[in-house]
Amino acid sequence: MDYRERWELKDYLFGQVIERRILLVQVALTVLVLAFVLDFWNLQGVHGDEYRVLAENNRLRRIPLPATRGEIFDRERRVIASTRPSLDLLLHRVAGPSLERQIESLAPILGESVETLRRKLDDLRATPSFDPLSVKEDVTLAELARIEARRERFPSIEVRQTARRHYPEGALTAHAIGYVGEVNEARLQTAEAPETLFRGDIVGKSGIERAYDNPLRGVRGWMVASVDSLGRQIGESQVLAEPGHGAPIEITLDIRLQRALVRAFGDEAGAGVFLDPRTGEVLALSSTPAFDPNRFADGLTREAWQSLNTDPGRPLHDRAIASFYAPGSTFKVVMAIAGLESGTIHPSDALYCAGSTVIYGHRRLCWKKGGHGRVDLERALAQSCNVYFYHLGQRMGIEPIQRYGSILGLGAPTGIDIPGEEGAILPSAEWKQRAQGQPWYPGDTISVAIGQGLLAVTPIQMATMIAGVATGRLPRPRLAHGSPDVGREIAVSASTLEIVRRGLERVVESGTGRSVTRGGFTVAGKTGTAQVFKRSAGIDADELPKAERDHAWFVGYAPVDAPRIAFAVVVEHGGHGGTSATPIVRQVLEVFFGDAGSGDAPGAPGLQASRRATAEGSGDRTAATP
Amino acid sequence: MLTALALCGVGLLSIASATAEQAGRSGLWKMQLVWLGVGIVAATVVVVVDYRLWAALALVLHGVALGLLGLVLAFGREVGGNRSWLEFGPLRAQPSEFAKWTTCLVLAVYLARRVRSSMGLRQLGEMSLLVAAPVGLIALQPDIGTALIFVPIFATALMIGGVRWKVLVAFVILALLFAPVGWTQLKAYQQARILTMFDPERDPSGVGYQLRQSKIAIGSGGLVGKGLFDGTQGQLNFLPAQHTDFVLATFTEELGFLGACGVLGLFYCLLWRGILAARSAQDRLGTYLCMLVVAWLIGQMAINVGMILGRLPTIGVPLPFLSYGGSALVTALCGVALVVNVRTRRFVN
Repeated sequence: MDYRERWELKDYLFGQVIERRILLVQVALTVLVLAFVLDFWNLQGVHGDEYRVLAENNRLRRIPLPATRGEIFDRERRVIASTRPSLDLLLHRVAGPSLERQIESLAPILGESVETLRRKLDDLRATPSFDPLSVKEDVTLAELARIEARRERFPSIEVRQTARRHYPEGALTAHAIGYVGEVNEARLQTAEAPETLFRGDIVGKSGIERAYDNPLRGVRGWMVASVDSLGRQIGESQVLAEPGHGAPIEITLDIRLQRALVRAFGDEAGAGVFLDPRTGEVLALSSTPAFDPNRFADGLTREAWQSLNTDPGRPLHDRAIASFYAPGSTFKVVMAIAGLESGTIHPSDALYCAGSTVIYGHRRLCWKKGGHGRVDLERALAQSCNVYFYHLGQRMGIEPIQRYGSILGLGAPTGIDIPGEEGAILPSAEWKQRAQGQPWYPGDTISVAIGQGLLAVTPIQMATMIAGVATGRLPRPRLAHGSPDVGREIAVSASTLEIVRRGLERVVESGTGRSVTRGGFTVAGKTGTAQVFKRSAGIDADELPKAERDHAWFVGYAPVDAPRIAFAVVVEHGGHGGTSATPIVRQVLEVFFGDAGSGDAPGAPGLQASRRATAEGSGDRTAATP
Repeated sequence: MLTALALCGVGLLSIASATAEQAGRSGLWKMQLVWLGVGIVAATVVVVVDYRLWAALALVLHGVALGLLGLVLAFGREVGGNRSWLEFGPLRAQPSEFAKWTTCLVLAVYLARRVRSSMGLRQLGEMSLLVAAPVGLIALQPDIGTALIFVPIFATALMIGGVRWKVLVAFVILALLFAPVGWTQLKAYQQARILTMFDPERDPSGVGYQLRQSKIAIGSGGLVGKGLFDGTQGQLNFLPAQHTDFVLATFTEELGFLGACGVLGLFYCLLWRGILAARSAQDRLGTYLCMLVVAWLIGQMAINVGMILGRLPTIGVPLPFLSYGGSALVTALCGVALVVNVRTRRFVN
C-alpha cells in the first residue's frame, strides 16, 4: 500500500515530465475536437446543400417508364417485328429468412432445380438488396396459375409485365431485320445520345433494328416515388415524363418474296438479293443458314450464344452484305462493258473457240470441251465462253477492268442502310502491291477476266451492278423507305449497255440461263460458277463432295423491257449457276410477277429443266487458274 | 458525471429517433434506459468505494475480465461473424467492454507501484503483457475495433508513465514493422473497409455504401438539422447501424451542425474535466487512473467520429454514451465514475 505516495514527496523533475505530457494530451484533445468541428462544418455548412440533394435522391427514386419499341412492317404493312407483353417473375430479396423455403417450393413449379435458383440468388449478393432477383422471364400462364394458387407461400414474389420483341416470321427475316438485346457497355460509352440510353435497355443489335434503333427505341419516361432503403414505395408517385414510344417503320421488303426466296434456298447455304433497280428498294434479302431472332429477344443463354457463334455454317454472318465470293462468269458483264468502253473490242469482233487456248505459256480451258466455235461478244456472253474473255483480258490489261468494275460499284460498300457491310476486293496492280507485297502478273489479269483469282464481291454488290446495267443508274440499296434515291448515273455509253443487255437476254433465251424462262415474263441475266478448289477439267461436278463443289451464281433483272426487279443469288457449293441458282430466282420471280400457279410448288419443274440444261452442257466451267 | 449523463440523454434521444420507424426496434431506447439505470447504479458503487481499494483489487478484476473473455471464445454467441457476446438468460454482455475498464485500472496500478523516475525495458515488457492478454483474446473473436481501443490506452500509459521518447519511437517503429503481418491476419472484409477509406468509390454498394450514406446523413443535416425524428437517412433506413455505431450521424442529420457542436462540446467538457481531475489528484495512482480513462474515451470517440466522417475505416467502434449497447454504456459510466472517485478524494489524506 505504499503507492499512497503524494505528488509533493515525489521527484520534482519527474513530475515536470508528467505535467508536460498531460499538457500534450490536452492539446491533442483540443486539436482533435476542433478538427472534428471543422469537418462537420465542411460537410454540413459548406457542402450541406449538395448532401441535401443526395439525401433527396436517396429518398426519391426515379422509376423508369419503358418506351414500347416501334413495330417493323414490310412494304404491304405486314408485321415483321412487334412487341408483345411478357410476364416476368421477380423475387424480392429483402423479405428475409423465408427466401430459402420460397425457392424450394418455386423450383418444381418452374421446372428448375433448387440449386440453379440458389445460385442465381447468390450471384446477387453484392448488389443492393432492393434489387429483386429475376427468377424467370416470360413465364407461362400455367406456371403463373400454379403460383397464384399458392400465393400465400410466396410472399416475396412479384409478377411484373414487361415488353418483349417478337418476330412472327422468325428466321425468315433474321439478317435484314436483325435482333435486339440488352445494351452492352461499349455501346453505353459511345452512345450518340447518352441521356436516352440506360444500362439494361433493350437495343437493336444488327440489321434494321440496329440501323434505325433510335427512332424504334423511343425515349423512356420517368416517374418519381418516395422509397425507403429497401426500395419499398411509400407515399404517392408522380409521373415526371411520359415515355415517348418508338416510331413504327415500314421497310421495303416484301414478305411474300422473302418467303419464296428463303423457301427456294431450302437447306442450301448462300445469299440472295432482290431489289427494285429504279429506286434501290430491297425487296428480298436472304442469307442462309439463318437464326431465329426470337431467341435473342427471349434472352439467349451463354451456351446458346456459343453454339450460334461456333456453328460452322456461320448463321450469324450476313452473307448478302459481308461474305466475299468470286463472281465467276457473272463478272463477264463487267468485262464486256470494259472491253467496249475502252475501245478494245467491237461488238462484231469475233474469235474462234476451240475449247482451250494458250496464254503466257499456260493452256487455259473453256468450260465446253469441244469449244464454241466462232464467237462474237453477244454469243460469248450467252454461252459464257471463257476463251473469248481470256483474250479480252489479255488485250485490255487490268486497268480498264478495275476502272469499269469500280464504276459499276464493285470493290466498295454499296451503302445499304444496315450495318456490317463489307467492300470486298476489286484488285489493281497497286492494290496487290499494297496488300500482298507482290507485283501484278499478267496471269492475274487472265484469272480476273473470268471472275476468279484475286477478285471478290458481295451478293449485294452484284445486285446493284446488274441493276446499274439494267437502268443505266447505280442505285444505293436500302431497306427503309425514305427520300427517293435515283442513284448515281454510270459513266457507260447507252450503246454499250444496249449490247450487253442483248447478250444477257440471250443468256436466258438460249444460253446458260434458260431454265429461268418458264413464266410469263422476260428475264435477262448471267450465270456464274465460282471455283472453290482448283481442279482440272473433266470431272463431273455432280460427283464431287458437296464442300468441294463450286459456288453457283445467277444475276440479272426482269422484265427485259422495263426492269422492275434486279437480283443476285449465290448458292454455296451449288455447282453450276444454271443448275441451282436459276431455279431459286425463278421461284421468286414467279411470286413477284404473280404467277402463283407454280410458285407454290417450289422446285420441281425448274429443277428438272436445269438438269436438262446441265446435260446439254449449259453449265459453265472454268479451267484451273494459274 | 453530469456531463456524462447529458451525453447519455442525447444518446437515448438519438436511439429513440433512429429506431422510431423500425418494426421491432422502436422499444430499444427503453432498453437503453434500463441499461442507463444499471450503469448509474454501477457507477455509484464505483464512486463510493475508494479508488485505492479498487486498485488493490485490480489484478483480480483483470483476471476475471480475462476469464470472461476466455469464456466468450469458448461459449460465446456469434453475432455478425464476431463471437463477443456472453448470454445469461435474457441478459447479454460484452466482456470486452469490461476488460477496457480493468485494463485502465491495472495499468494505473502498475505505473504507480513499479515505475519510478523512468521506465525500463522490463517494465515496458510487463505492461505490454498486461495489455496484450485482453487484446489478444478480443482479436480472436475477432473484434478488431474493440481491440484497437487498447492502443491509445497503452500509448498514454507509456507516455505519462514517463517512458523516454526514444523508447516510445522505437516502439512505434516496431509496431509499424509488424503492421504488414497484422494486415495479413485481417479478414477480407476488414481489409476492404480500410481500402475503402482511401477510395470510397471502390465499392459504392457494399462497404463504401455505409460511408457514403453516413456522409450524406451528416451533410444533409445542414446547420440546424431536419428536426428530431424527421431525418430521412436514418428514419428510412438508408444509413445502416443508425442507432449503434452511426448514431452520431443520425443525430447530426436531425440536429445539424449545432447538434454536432453540442455533442462535441459535451465530450470536450467531459474529457477536459477528466484531465483536470488527473492534475489535481492527490497521488500518482489517481493521476494515472484519470489519464487512462480519458485516453480510453478520447480514443473511442476519435475512432467513432472519424469513422462516421469518413476519415477512418468503418471498424465498428461505438460512440461512448450515445451508441446503443448496454455493456458499453455501463463500463463507460464506470470509467467516468473512476475519474469522479479520484476527484472527490483529491483533498483527503
